[in-house]
Amino acid sequence: MAATAPPVLVDTNVIIEAWRVGGWKALVGRHAVETVEQVVTETQTGAQNRRPQQHIDGRELKSTLAHVHAVSDGARATLAIEVFDIALDPGERDLWAHALQRPDAWVLCGPDKASLRVGIRLGLRDRLVSLEGLWKAAGYKARSLRANFTEAWHAQTMSALVMAERPAAGRRSK
Amino acid sequence: MTNATARLGGRLRALRDQRGLSQEDLSRSLGFKDRQTLSAIETGERRLSADELLRAVKALGVSVEQFIDPFQLAGEGRFSWRQSGVPLEGLNRFESQAGRWVAAFREIAPQVGRQRPLLRPSLGLHKGSTVEEAMAAGERFAREFDLGAVPAARLQAVMEERLHILVLMVDALAGISGAACHLPELDAVLINRSEAESRRHFDLAHELFHVLTWQAMPPEHVEAPDEDAGKGRVEQLANAFASALLMPKVLVDIPDPPARRGYGGGVGYGDGRGGGRGDGWKDSDMPPPSPKEIKAIAVRLRVSGVAVKWRLVSLGVLSRKAALAIDDRTLRGDGKGPRPPLFSKPFLQVLGQAIDQGQVSARRAAELAGLTLDDLAKLFEAHGVTAPFDL
Repeated sequence: MAATAPPVLVDTNVIIEAWRVGGWKALVGRHAVETVEQVVTETQTGAQNRRPQQHIDGRELKSTLAHVHAVSDGARATLAIEVFDIALDPGERDLWAHALQRPDAWVLCGPDKASLRVGIRLGLRDRLVSLEGLWKAAGYKARSLRANFTEAWHAQTMSALVMAERPAAGRRSK
Repeated sequence: MTNATARLGGRLRALRDQRGLSQEDLSRSLGFKDRQTLSAIETGERRLSADELLRAVKALGVSVEQFIDPFQLAGEGRFSWRQSGVPLEGLNRFESQAGRWVAAFREIAPQVGRQRPLLRPSLGLHKGSTVEEAMAAGERFAREFDLGAVPAARLQAVMEERLHILVLMVDALAGISGAACHLPELDAVLINRSEAESRRHFDLAHELFHVLTWQAMPPEHVEAPDEDAGKGRVEQLANAFASALLMPKVLVDIPDPPARRGYGGGVGYGDGRGGGRGDGWKDSDMPPPSPKEIKAIAVRLRVSGVAVKWRLVSLGVLSRKAALAIDDRTLRGDGKGPRPPLFSKPFLQVLGQAIDQGQVSARRAAELAGLTLDDLAKLFEAHGVTAPFDL
């Protein structure tokens, strides 16, 4: 793992996809991957909200994550005040609530447009990365990656969401 | 004012109202010197701080999760359930779920550019109206909204497109047929999609009546079953309206067998149909329609044979005595037919746009729908809407 690489915060979608394509080890082998407790819960069988489900061994997952963070109600409240109008699922929400409390230079990988929009709204667009980009840095190429996890989708979507957030940014500055 | 600030203020006001607290009461709990500060927060003029949100949560007795969940009605909506024998506890649980669907649509639709209706249509009926007046209103509705040769087939689209009513096909508890939901900004009708097609159509027309008369005669929270002899006046009027809407007089004709030709003269429906016996029935010496003929009408109009039978009674075509002599079992259809896909196309279109614009995450949308992410993608396809994610 490169010493200078920032910690990577990942959500449930990322863990499930990395597991599905067999790229989890490549990811955690290159990056310090962190998440929140709610996300770990959502990756487990019965809580994935996916069909078919991936079998993700909880012990193995936790042992390969650099940190699993607890999230306070205060952190959730701080996030809600900024983005009450963007509806995230509990794992995505807790990940952002945690991220907002951190003073260090993390990056966040969350491939849903709503999660990306939160980052843009909070002025953190430079912290948003794609899973494919993280793998590229690790010298790993995933096969049959779903669109939302690719670099191309990420770049295209970011441009569109930045445009969509402009009126909101204008309103906030008044 | 940001969207988030305004909507968080609105949530605070709704929860305060739900708990019957005055602005003064809550202001004290929040440590504000006067109620103007709270008023400014509720109208979105002033931003709520994180500490204030936590204090508000405590004062209102809700969790942070509940407070920040935008898909909750917080007591703002009123439901009227058409059901039979469903325990109140189960009904209340389902109502809470249904409220989330309605609240989600209310929140999301304006975000994706779907304006709330400017006007709320209503029927000029009241509790003192007669059954005949309700039937006349149903007949006029079918005619004026161009419901065509099979009103049941067009009704949902008319309700959605012309009256801006949210119609949702849902998986409800057994015993629940449907519900009407009235909010200050939106009307919604929920139909149990597992019911037989004919039943679903009747429920839809019945709930439409409640939506269109909510102010003049608000329905009970839980309706008595249809078979209940003490069924209220409002429900009788709703049934009469639904019956006439789905089976307008001009469409309740029987294909003329050669022996019966010459009795016709009914008014056409502008689509080449009509010309059945119409008013000629009443005065003719024709024999009453047979169960087979009643069933044929039911199949054509996509309603139940029993509904047709009683419609014929109300039209004076069949005497009450003759109707009672017809065994309802002989009027039953062949089965339920295919279930419609969950919810509705407009609901999925709005949800899809919200996901595509980053207003709602796909996982959150799936949780709202009670589906896996993969099944949600299939549901979009079932409604002819492109799934807005590939996760």
